[in-house]
This record gives sequence, C-alpha cells and structure tokens, in this order.
Amino acid sequence: MKPNRRVTPYLFLVPAMAVFGFAVLFPVVMTFAYSFTEWNGYGTMQFVGLDNYIEAANDVLFRDSFLHVVLYIAATILLEVAVGLVLAGLVSVKRRGSLWFRVAIFTPVMLPMVVVAVLWAFVYNNDFGLLNAALVNFGLEDLQRVWLGDPATALLAVSVVSGWVYAGFYMTIFYAAFSQVPTEVIEAARLDGAGEWQLFRRIKVPMIRNAITVSLLLCITGGFQGFDLFYVMTNGGPYGATEIPTTYLVKSVFTFGNVGYGSAMAMVLTAVVVALGLVFARVNREKPEKVNA
Amino acid sequence: MTDRRKVTTGAVAALSATALILTGCSAGGGSSDDNVLRVAMGSPGEAQIRVWDDVAAQFEAANPDVTVEMNYQNDDLYQTIGLPNLLNGRNAPDIYFEWAGARLEQRAADGFAADLTEAVTTGPIAGLFDDEVFSSLTVDDAVVMVPHAADVTNVLWYNEDIFAENGLTPPTTWDELLATCDALDAEGIIPIASGNKDLWAAGNWLAHLTSRVVGEDVYSSALSGETDFDTPEWVEAFGYVKELADHNCVNESANAVDDNEGAQLFFQGKAAMHAIGSWLVSWAIDEAPGLNFDYVNLPSMPGKGNQDSVIGVVTGYVVNAKSSNQDLAAEFLALLNSDENVQAFIGAELTPMALSASDGEEVDSRSAKLLDMLETAPAIVLPPDNGYDLETANALYAALAEVLGGQSSPEDAVAGIDNKLS
Repeated sequence: MKPNRRVTPYLFLVPAMAVFGFAVLFPVVMTFAYSFTEWNGYGTMQFVGLDNYIEAANDVLFRDSFLHVVLYIAATILLEVAVGLVLAGLVSVKRRGSLWFRVAIFTPVMLPMVVVAVLWAFVYNNDFGLLNAALVNFGLEDLQRVWLGDPATALLAVSVVSGWVYAGFYMTIFYAAFSQVPTEVIEAARLDGAGEWQLFRRIKVPMIRNAITVSLLLCITGGFQGFDLFYVMTNGGPYGATEIPTTYLVKSVFTFGNVGYGSAMAMVLTAVVVALGLVFARVNREKPEKVNA
Repeated sequence: MTDRRKVTTGAVAALSATALILTGCSAGGGSSDDNVLRVAMGSPGEAQIRVWDDVAAQFEAANPDVTVEMNYQNDDLYQTIGLPNLLNGRNAPDIYFEWAGARLEQRAADGFAADLTEAVTTGPIAGLFDDEVFSSLTVDDAVVMVPHAADVTNVLWYNEDIFAENGLTPPTTWDELLATCDALDAEGIIPIASGNKDLWAAGNWLAHLTSRVVGEDVYSSALSGETDFDTPEWVEAFGYVKELADHNCVNESANAVDDNEGAQLFFQGKAAMHAIGSWLVSWAIDEAPGLNFDYVNLPSMPGKGNQDSVIGVVTGYVVNAKSSNQDLAAEFLALLNSDENVQAFIGAELTPMALSASDGEEVDSRSAKLLDMLETAPAIVLPPDNGYDLETANALYAALAEVLGGQSSPEDAVAGIDNKLS
C-alpha cells in the first residue's frame, strides 16, 4: 500500500506532539486557566478575572524576587559563562593532563543539585562548616561570616555554588567550540607572534561568538528557572534576601494553597523568559549579517 | 469532505482525545479502590517507624487480603508540599497524619476528612480515649480526627552538665534567662540553639513569648485576622525578642540553618539550651544517647498573658473522606491504639493519648512531665502554623526572625506584618 504523503508526516509527529502536549502544553494551558481563579488546590474554584495579575504587579516581594534573580543571573554569567570560557581557554591549550582537568571540572555537573545544595550548605555552615574553618586556619578570622544567614552574602553564596556546578558545563561547550576553530587561523596568528592570551582574546573568543551567545541564553533562562539550590540552601531566606520568583510561587502554591495566585506568577515568569528568549533569538539572527557586511 | 478538512477534523479529534486522557490523568484526589490501605505521615523517627511497621504487619496478619502501605515523608516536606500532593494524587492515603486546628478544619472543608463520630462512639475506636479529647477534633459536629499524641511544641531544653559546670540553674523568669545568656555567652557557649531557616522553629518559641506579653486573647485575635499587629503591646512583645538578640542568646547562624542543624548544636554540647518541642526526647535519645538534658517551660515574662501557659497542639490521624476503605481505616486506627501498641509507642519514646497509656510500660520522665504540663496547663496557646492561617503565621514568623537576626526594629517588624497581610 502506498503511503499517503499528506498524512504520513503528521503521523511521525504524533509521538513527539503527544509528549509535548502532555509535558508542556497541557500544564501551561492549565496553569494559564488557574491563573484567573482563586483556588487552594482542592475545594471550589472561583473565577476572579485579572485579580491575581493585579496582585502580582503590586506585590513587593514578587518584584523583589525578580531583582534577586536578575542579580543571581548577573553573578552566574560571570561565575558560569565567563569562568567556563576561561577554563575552556586553559584546557584547550595542549598540555599534559588536559583531559583530567576537563573531567574534574565537568564532574559537578553530573551531581544531583539537591546533593550539591546539601553539601554546600554544610560547607557554608557557620558552626561546623569547612569554609569558616579554612578561613581560621589561614588566619583570616575577620572574613568569617554566616554565609547563608547574612543578607549581604547569601545570594552570592548560592551563586558561587551555581558557578561551581555549571562552569564545567559551559567549559565543555566552549571547549568543543574552540576545537572547531581552524588550526590554520591559529597557526597564522602564532606566526604573526600572537601569544596564548592574544590567541584566546583576539582569535578564539571572537570566533566562537555564537556558542557564547547560546551559552548566555542558556544561563539567563536557566537562571530564571533556578529553584533547587535556593530551596534547599536558603528557602528564600534570610529575610527574603534569596527569594526568587520560583521559590516564591512554589511557597504560594504549596505552602499557602494559593494555586490561582501562584499560577499567575508562573505565567508572568514564563512570559518574561519567553520574551528574553525571543530577544536573544533576534539578536543572534542579526549579528552574523553585521559581521559579514 | 476534502482531504484537508479530513486531516483537520482528525487532528482536532486526536487533540480532544489527548486532552480528555490528560484531564483524566490529572483528576486525582481520590483514593484508589483496592485492598491497599495507605497511611501517610511525616517521619516519626526510626524507633516509632519500627512500631508503625509492626502495627501494619499485625493488621495484614488479621486481614490477609489487605496490604498496608506506609509512607514516611520528611517532616517539612510532608507539612508543605507532601500531603497536598498525596491527597491530590491517584493513590491518595486512606489515613494521614494531621495537626488539630486550622489545618484540620481546612481538610474537613476541602472534603478530605471523613466523619468518624460513629467509629469513636460506638465503633472500633469507642472507649479507647477520654471523650473530652475529641472536642478539639470536631468540625461541624463531626469528629474528624483520632488523636495520637499531644505535642508541647516548645519548651526550653537545657544541658544539665553545662549548667552544672557553670553553676547555673534553669531560668524561670525573663531576667534570669537574660542573665543565663550573658553568663554562657561570656564562656563562649551558645546560650540557646535555634535552627530557624524555615522560620517555624524560633517562630513557634517566640510566638509563645509574645502571647505571654500581649495576652492570649490579643494573640489569638491578631492571628485570626481580627485585630492588627501594629499595636503598642505587640511592639513591646517584639522588644523582648530584640533583647534576646542584644544579649546574644541565640546562635548567630539561627536564621541560616534548619531545625536539624540547630538541634545538632545542642546534641554536640555547643549550645546549652534549645527551644523546641516535646519530640526532642526521642530524637535526642536516638542521636545523642549520652546527653544529660531536661527542660523548663518558657520563663515567665513581664506581660498580660498567663505566665504558666503552654504552647501545644494535639496531633492524630484523619481518615480520608474519599477513601473507599474507611471501615478498614477505622479498624487500623483502633489497632494502632490497642493496649499492646500503645505500650510499644511508649517504648519508642512517644506518649500516646489513649487511656491505656497510663498502664504498663514506663514513660520517659521528661515526656510524662510534658504531657502532665499540657494536661494541667491553665492556658494552652496554639502554635501559629497549626492553629491559624498559614500566611498569617508565616508573616509573624518572618517578622520575629528579622528582629531576632537584628534586621528590623520591633516597630518596623510589626508594621511589616500588617503590610504583608493587607
């Protein structure tokens, strides 16, 4: 029997669309629907129109949570992407032990985030933790802090953990991108007298701009989706200093039973992330044209 | 019908069917209709888990066609995300742990609490408890929970050895407490350990403190949303919390560590006191068997409240109104409170509320004293997170944590509660 050319392509799409519908589309549609209701997750659902969105717009804690996540993203761009880039530059220079370093730096990416969070909560612990103990051993007692209990350091402390995990991930992306840089370009630069730093800064990094752009997009959208580290390490504290939109809306839904309000916040968060993604996609599309012009 | 229209119609039908299937998948909230009796709770600790598992085995032996599935979750997880998820799931528990008060009333209002009146009056549970205990477990004239234990949710535990070494006696007044803090702090010992990352640990203790200052009626009316927090008496009460901070009474890390880490400071002898509930007895016996400890109730405060009040709550088990195994569940709860099992729980350092608890196995002296203190208390204060609306409780706890951590003045903190709740 001859396959129907019009129907067959759609049939191939059915499994993927079913998974997408189940795992993405349906939850999004339901969350959108819940965002117009007042509902605690069990009882009667009441339609409240745009009230939840108005409440979110006026909620100082929700607004602050966006500020915190923006600061977190700024920190992780440095600690994950920039550090990952530098590490990739270092390990891509052919030296003995490069493979060992790549594996070692990438290893944290493979650990479950909850395990990482618990581990680092102990490292930061004021009373039993490694960090403060190390500072004492190095004669730096004055630098001791309650790292996760001080609003001035808590967000940075969580960001450092995120950097510890994901710098290896971005290093791997950049390492792969560096390996695509034509060797004749590198050799020509060397013949012109370029050192490793100049090669890195003036040749390799500009040539992997697309990989950097994609990494920034991943870092920014991933930052907005951050949850597990914050939930385990600080639970939004101290005094709300590490409250980010995801922890705030999860508390709203699961602790206080405000499913409608939490859904509205989730939709706002989704809209922000999608908008940022679109902006990045547009920037990414335009830049090669300018370069080629 | 054209091919294009056929495809479109087919696609719409497929999508509709998918949506229906998905809707069906998500429509949980009911207990499955099978011979499995599901019991859910926050983890009660290894010693009690052994008793629970034994009760389950006894029940299965008496009912060969029934399987009992025990679900022990992390305490904090159970109290927040865990139980709601379970109740909304396809295999919802038939029996679940709950706290009396606002939470229990909410469960009943949401249709997750079966009417157990018949079971406790003429059914399998009849005669196992003093009738008076059901008054706080009744919603709309229906008994909706079978009590298991009465928790004093906060007292001041102290390390007897540290106190003896430093020539201290357990504080019974506010001034004595501050003097004790000063003496311990001067010796480099943390006076009071607290793990308040999740806000309830110190929140519960300090809420009791504020109730002693503002009086039980003002405390209750503010937490019920009937009156404001931003009043002179609440500012005064928060002023005492500031004094605790000023006297370095609490570990610097209090708001950064959880209740477990806070308890470890006490268990390891780094802190001389620990403000937490009656569950510390079995916990300490498990984790710090050599610890020599006892407790005092919150020292009396200069204030309008009853200075002998006790903060506590009854906990127990609710039968899911959506369970198809409600009769089995009632029988299980009766077995749970049988003489033999009550004695087994006492052996696991829990003091059940069943009448038979006073016979046989010797209760830990501290647990017995706590239960007696609760039963004879001239005033019982409900913990904010069990007795009242959770958002209000959380706002109070967050404000108390801010003052305890030196982040807010008492005036700003109480004003902040009202702002948050408005």
